[in-house]
Amino acid sequence: MPLINNKVGDDGTVGKDKALVDGKALVDSLIKVVACYRVLATCVGGCTDSLQLRDELRQTREKAQRLAMAIRSHLTSHLRDKSLPEEQRKEMEILWVGFSSSLELLHVDMCKVFNMGDIFSLSKKETRVQNGLQGGGSEVAARALSVPDLNQPQSTSLPAEFESHERSTMEKDISQLDHMIDDMEMKVNVLRWMVEPHGPQYPDPLSSTDSASLLSVDEEQPGHQPLHQRRKLFVLLLLVAVVLVGATLSICIVFFS
Amino acid sequence: MTIRNTLQDHGQRYRPRMASLKKSEKVLLEMQDPKTGLKSQPQRLVITTIPHAITGEDIIAWLADRFQVDTQEARSFGSMLVALGYIYPLQDHKRLVIKPDASLYRFQTPYFWPTQQLPVEDTDYAIYLAKRNIRKKGILEMHEQEHYNRLHKWMNHKWDFIVMQAKEQYRAAKERKKPDRVVFDCQERAYWVVHRPPPGTVSAMDYGLDRQIDPNSDEAVTPDFYERIMIFTQQSIMRPRVKSSVSIGALVKYCATYNNHDPFLSNCLPSNPWITDDVTFWTLNMPCVEIPTKMRVERWTFSFAELLSDTRGRDDFRLFLKKEFSGENLAFWEACEDLKWGKAASIKEKAEHIYKTFLARGAPRWINIDGKTMEVTVKGLKHPHRYVLDPAQTHIYMLMKKDSYGRYQKSPVFKDTVKKAICPDEHHFSGAQLEQNYKKRRPSLSPIILRQMEQEQRAKMAANIDITQLCLFTTPVPHLAVYSGFTDYPTATASPSLTFLAHTPACPSPISVALDSTSVSERQVEEAEGDGNPAARAPVGGNVSKSRMALSLRRLLKGGCTPATMFASLSPKCHLAAGTSSRIQPISPDQPSQAPPRRIGNFFQIKVDIPPECRIYPIESEDEEEESRAAFRGGVGAKEIICPWESLTTQNGTG
Repeated sequence: MPLINNKVGDDGTVGKDKALVDGKALVDSLIKVVACYRVLATCVGGCTDSLQLRDELRQTREKAQRLAMAIRSHLTSHLRDKSLPEEQRKEMEILWVGFSSSLELLHVDMCKVFNMGDIFSLSKKETRVQNGLQGGGSEVAARALSVPDLNQPQSTSLPAEFESHERSTMEKDISQLDHMIDDMEMKVNVLRWMVEPHGPQYPDPLSSTDSASLLSVDEEQPGHQPLHQRRKLFVLLLLVAVVLVGATLSICIVFFS
Repeated sequence: MTIRNTLQDHGQRYRPRMASLKKSEKVLLEMQDPKTGLKSQPQRLVITTIPHAITGEDIIAWLADRFQVDTQEARSFGSMLVALGYIYPLQDHKRLVIKPDASLYRFQTPYFWPTQQLPVEDTDYAIYLAKRNIRKKGILEMHEQEHYNRLHKWMNHKWDFIVMQAKEQYRAAKERKKPDRVVFDCQERAYWVVHRPPPGTVSAMDYGLDRQIDPNSDEAVTPDFYERIMIFTQQSIMRPRVKSSVSIGALVKYCATYNNHDPFLSNCLPSNPWITDDVTFWTLNMPCVEIPTKMRVERWTFSFAELLSDTRGRDDFRLFLKKEFSGENLAFWEACEDLKWGKAASIKEKAEHIYKTFLARGAPRWINIDGKTMEVTVKGLKHPHRYVLDPAQTHIYMLMKKDSYGRYQKSPVFKDTVKKAICPDEHHFSGAQLEQNYKKRRPSLSPIILRQMEQEQRAKMAANIDITQLCLFTTPVPHLAVYSGFTDYPTATASPSLTFLAHTPACPSPISVALDSTSVSERQVEEAEGDGNPAARAPVGGNVSKSRMALSLRRLLKGGCTPATMFASLSPKCHLAAGTSSRIQPISPDQPSQAPPRRIGNFFQIKVDIPPECRIYPIESEDEEEESRAAFRGGVGAKEIICPWESLTTQNGTG
């Protein structure tokens, strides 16, 4: 009997823990999708803007919305549950804050993409800003959708059709998101000033050296570029000369000894 | 259909639209045209090449061509585009200007274009800073570090989210190819230089105050709405109107007068610091500079208000008034300003001080205002508030303006200042020197230090007043009116007694008593010193009177007091001393109060009714006040100053 009791008790806490773990996974993936959406959105209007990019944006957005719905139902049900123990509630609240912040970011990005769609229509190819990008965002979209590779068949619909359809859907989605945010605030009362995060103030560096950083540092002094190259050449020549001299000397030694 | 503003703008603030943004976008799009737009070149970096780099001179040439303007204007226009964030420099990314040489720029991607509908969020900034920290620890600059710490404090609840989002964005960006990553980093960095500028630079996105209402929203038509319209129309009808010819004439006159003095409309000597980053102009025009510039002196002649509002001008004017012996007007005006703009807690004591110094009968720096104003002011001083001295202040201001100002402009003081005023030469900076000036910029003195300096100066001035200006224009005291002999001032001779004896043949006892007491006490003192301590009483009395005597003599010899004051100080004390010393002829205690109120009507053209009970003596030196106050209170039973306050103030304790 004690076992059964324990089991019941364990089930309860395990259940709650599972909910927490689930919730965390969902929120993490939402954060990831939102980040990818943002990176993709920076390509809109540039020279790599294309139907494909817009399609990828659409897919990412839809995934984000699906995740958002899931998290909403999950978290609201748990947070409105009065019997939740204190630490679990705290964790849930942290998740909630993460969720609402992600939604806000997503909302802003969607608005921006919508506005940009006005100016940079797919049909008018001349109005692309030459922003220096060369590649598309396929890898980013792949990451967002959690597929290893994004092998999409080329969309058969015409750009214009696609666009108008997309715009109307987007409008609806944005207002829906708006309502969702409002709704959430009404239903669940999370006191933001009471939420204490776990993490450190400074995120740990993921890689100590990054070639991109070196590149951006190099960009600072382009005047020094030719100088660096010249210096490198000089050093190289010097080394070669030293090696030659050493080789000649050793040959001489060998010869004459 | 417009999408309403996104995130809940809890401040309910509406940003005034910056029309320049929409127009700049159009220009940007024109620049992209493959046929008529800008030609770009690839940028060579160590590892890779990135396309679409444009040179500064190309941009300027294209703008000059497109808008048919000269190079200078095209350059300013280009700098504006860079400052707003539509184009960003690839080298020297913190300086948002266009350089007319081969330095490279690139177009900003539309996602990072400035908009007003979507405000720039601190959350995004925090994520950006966290991302930079992830890439390389400790790369954040000082101001960025400060921002980061502040954001960590204020957005603490979101911090997990911010860190996670930063990591995710970093990883997502890593998916891309290297050149694209570099470009994205540059774009983001440029975006944040525009929207969170480093200290010492100005953001072009500053738009001034936020609006209270959303101009796009429709207002609900309720009775209140109509009520507002009615009130507005009624007030418009009642508003006093000025003929447009008059108002326009005033505007034209103002513009014509000040045109040459405006640093932006006309040439600013030596050079405009906002343009050339050289601060000579500001150092030459500091508030307390010895030699002012010619332009500044010229401004003083425009109006009296200009003269007073400029510290240096006010100093000059004060010097002139000192020479004319009417410095109390300006001092009173300044004291009123101090009262008006000072702290609420100090109003009461400031008002008291002003009354004692300037307004009370017999005050040391008595100002000449008409009876009605005086009445109103004194009545108001019963319950002093900030603006209680406004009528008096206005009266004095107009007096100074109509009278002293004109004389000041013809005076040798002013002419001397005009002669000594400097006119600096214009600077001609080359491009390289301008760059140097920009680098050499330093922040100016901290306001705390400036305020301290101001206070020190004020204290110094206040200290100076006591010595020189005091007692020069005291109202004559009635029972000392017999001394009609103070025509020449303030040279106190060493032997006042002789002078005054000569003038007062039929003089009643106070003077002779005073004289007697002087001589008697002196003798007493000598005797006391000689004998040691003859009697208990005598030395006491002697000591008391000796100290008073000594003090009075000292003051007299300092030259700051009239002889009258000395005697004034002596006489009431005499009857105190009379109690203790038997040698001095006692005066009846009532005598001073019964002293005939001889009207010295035309003394310095002051026509003031001095009631007989008035026993205000000119301000004495501070050291005696304590000991005399107690002594005096016991002695005098007559009515004291008619003063708005209940309590007896130190004014009554004559020195």
